Amino acid sequence: MIAIDKDRPSEEWMAAIRKQFVTETEIDRSLTRKLERRSGPSYTPLTLEEIIVGLRRLIEAKGVVKFAVEDARWLSGGASKLQVAFTLDWDRLAVGREKTRMVLRLEPAESLHETSRLREFQVVSALQDILPIPAVYWVDTEAEYLPYAGLVYGFASGVAKPSEAQSGVSGLGTRLPLELRKKLGPQFVRDLAKLHTFDFSQANLTAFDQPELGTQNSDWAVAWWDRVWEEDSGEQVPLMSLTSAWLRKNAPSVDHLSIVHGDYRVGNFLFDEQSATITSWLDWELTRIGDRHQDLAWSTSRAFGSFAEDGTTFLVSGLIPEQEFFEAYEKASGLSVDMKSLRYYQIFNAYSMAVMTLATSYRVARNGKSHQDILLTWLLGVGYMLLDDIRQLLAKEI
Amino acid sequence: MQLRPEIQIKSMIKAMTEVVLPAVDENNALAVEQAQLIIGHLNLIAVRLPLQFRADRNALDRLISYTHDVLESSDGEQAALVAAQADAADVLSRAKAEPQELVDAARRITEELDDNIRAIFDGDDEKATNALMANTLKMSEEQLLRDRSWLIMQGWEPDASIVPPIESLLEPLNSEA
Repeated sequence: MIAIDKDRPSEEWMAAIRKQFVTETEIDRSLTRKLERRSGPSYTPLTLEEIIVGLRRLIEAKGVVKFAVEDARWLSGGASKLQVAFTLDWDRLAVGREKTRMVLRLEPAESLHETSRLREFQVVSALQDILPIPAVYWVDTEAEYLPYAGLVYGFASGVAKPSEAQSGVSGLGTRLPLELRKKLGPQFVRDLAKLHTFDFSQANLTAFDQPELGTQNSDWAVAWWDRVWEEDSGEQVPLMSLTSAWLRKNAPSVDHLSIVHGDYRVGNFLFDEQSATITSWLDWELTRIGDRHQDLAWSTSRAFGSFAEDGTTFLVSGLIPEQEFFEAYEKASGLSVDMKSLRYYQIFNAYSMAVMTLATSYRVARNGKSHQDILLTWLLGVGYMLLDDIRQLLAKEI
Repeated sequence: MQLRPEIQIKSMIKAMTEVVLPAVDENNALAVEQAQLIIGHLNLIAVRLPLQFRADRNALDRLISYTHDVLESSDGEQAALVAAQADAADVLSRAKAEPQELVDAARRITEELDDNIRAIFDGDDEKATNALMANTLKMSEEQLLRDRSWLIMQGWEPDASIVPPIESLLEPLNSEA
């Protein structure tokens, strides 16, 4: 056995990894960049002033003149990125002088998901007229101006949970009252159907590779998380080895390619409390072109749902009974729900989450690469429950 | 188990140093001092914890030699001390591998298992693949029960009452004696 120092990856090892795991081009670029920077400095706390300096440079570079960045403040929430809210006083094209509320989303040195700000920028731009989604203004993919790669969004109003509701990290475990569920549930299904039936053929999605129909999309997806496991894990786990091998051998064929959000669930949309209307879908960093069943399996995960007042009816994302959800989705999208594909993606999703928690959380915290290593260390613990989910799912496939 | 004290302590020191301590009211001298002491303790634990077992074993070895000298240089009823020395010598003789050796051995075997699992799965032997799945799932069920029990205080389990306490799942080292 050859010892690999994953904290100081060699050129040879990086080249071997890239060759072994065939992923989309931009995913490869993001993951390779992570490895290239791994032996560099750990994350050092940034002040708002440092970030504003970089933000001004980015805005200037995009051709905006006579502007002022005002009311900058940290936003909390999420287990991955740094977020700063601010108001931009500027001459907006075709609008005139305006004060626009915006949000800067910034990567730390390494994070729970090593993803591409360019992909996020492109997909959010492409979906502006399709879904309630924040405006997106500028992207700094290579940290030319900002301390780390980042993206400037329009500020999205709304709440992720009712003001009086309680929930865990990242909106998990949110319980919504019945009246709110009745209004939000149909919108949740409607937006997912719109996303999956969106014709992306004319959209500017150059940072996404388009797979062929069949199994290529799942091959790329499994290779993505296999690669992250290889790069970040501190120890092998036989069940993870088995799951990876099973996923590669049992990939389902997709009949229709869709934009897949990758984290479609309660906690990742904002809504207006008064009108109970979804105002914005967030967190597009795991988006890819692939199989709708990935989102369907994610949304219906036990981890993101809750039970109705009767204690027995499982509510998808805490919103809508599962059978009702599938029927409404098929009706709204015209796309079928295949239970075998759904089971496959349940295993795939649990696998990817286990990779993030058991491998990436570990590696980021070990090297002090984020602004919240203590949270990532805590999240490591959920990996064992995810492994047990995988075990139970695989047991049904024997 | 990936969630080990080494990484927990490291992330606690970082959070205390970079986030918590700078936010403590500098006029609250007691809070500032105790935050600094927490960081000091954690740094000490981080450095010494990997050596704790070796230090305890080393101290016990010295005590056994010392007891031997004491017994040789004195007369009278010494049965209790002789028995304690014999117990100590027995424990020391069984305390051979260091904790990190256990961790490293587990890592070596799972590395090799990874290659083995993938090779079997990629082959055409359906019987071997099914047996591999059954064996892996069986072992994983037993191990994951212990991992989940170990971490029960984190609160991830939807129904914590179905997970036995970790003490009941870990056999004492001398259980076969």
